[in-house]
Amino acid sequence: MPFVDSLFNTAFRLTRNAQDAEDLVQETYLKAYRHYDKFQEGTNLKAWLFKIMKNTFINNYRKKQRVPPQSDFADLEGGLESRVRDDGASRIKTPEEEFLETIVDEQVQEALDGLPPDYRMAVILADLENFSYKEIAEILEIPVGTVMSRLYRGREQVDGAVRDCARERGYLRSGAPNKRRSSPRRNDTSEDTGGVE
Amino acid sequence: MDCTRFEEILFLYTDDQLEAEVVVTYRRHMELCPECARRAAYTQRLLMVMRQRCRRTVAPESLRQRILASLPHRTAEE
Repeated sequence: MPFVDSLFNTAFRLTRNAQDAEDLVQETYLKAYRHYDKFQEGTNLKAWLFKIMKNTFINNYRKKQRVPPQSDFADLEGGLESRVRDDGASRIKTPEEEFLETIVDEQVQEALDGLPPDYRMAVILADLENFSYKEIAEILEIPVGTVMSRLYRGREQVDGAVRDCARERGYLRSGAPNKRRSSPRRNDTSEDTGGVE
Repeated sequence: MDCTRFEEILFLYTDDQLEAEVVVTYRRHMELCPECARRAAYTQRLLMVMRQRCRRTVAPESLRQRILASLPHRTAEE
């Protein structure tokens, strides 16, 4: 069963619920099996499976996602994970980087889970599943430019949420800017035209 | 390269999506501008923390069994 862990991990992040994630993955495999004749041998099977899952998620689950996220990650995943690998130890870290070391798994996960679905999907595929921009464009069926703007906005929101945490815990001054220094001048007017609504 | 442009394409840099010659210009800007260098270091760190702190879930064995059971059985010829 190829990529079942990756699919399940992403399904869980999308649905934020273990049972829905299982159903989503099962339906994805069933559809992939039924429509395997549409898969072109030699192309990217993983991306193809993720595309099926994305469409299934949008069709079946998105309507249910209006309810606030159930924060069951902690229960399901068993608390704190390992510390960040400290490969930048030789360099002196700025206070900003310092506070990144102090945040805990749940805070990062909540920040990610709090993203609107379009941004969340792009960030999950890029940052947790390591898909390239081109593959994400293929999976989400949107232009690469839209992938880039969704990633920018999604990551910016994660950054903002993480900074809020740091501020609450006294690592950043309350007046410290939450935003990045400047907004991109990229033309985002077409952002939602190729979307997954 | 100015600071605004640097900020705009920061994720392209961290995602290794820039052409080699742009990377050279980019790194030169960082040498000249500590503020942008700090921004880039922070962003790389943030993405790394995101990757590492979002613990991966593994598909339960029961799900694998359920999927296998639900798929139509293939015959040996297939």
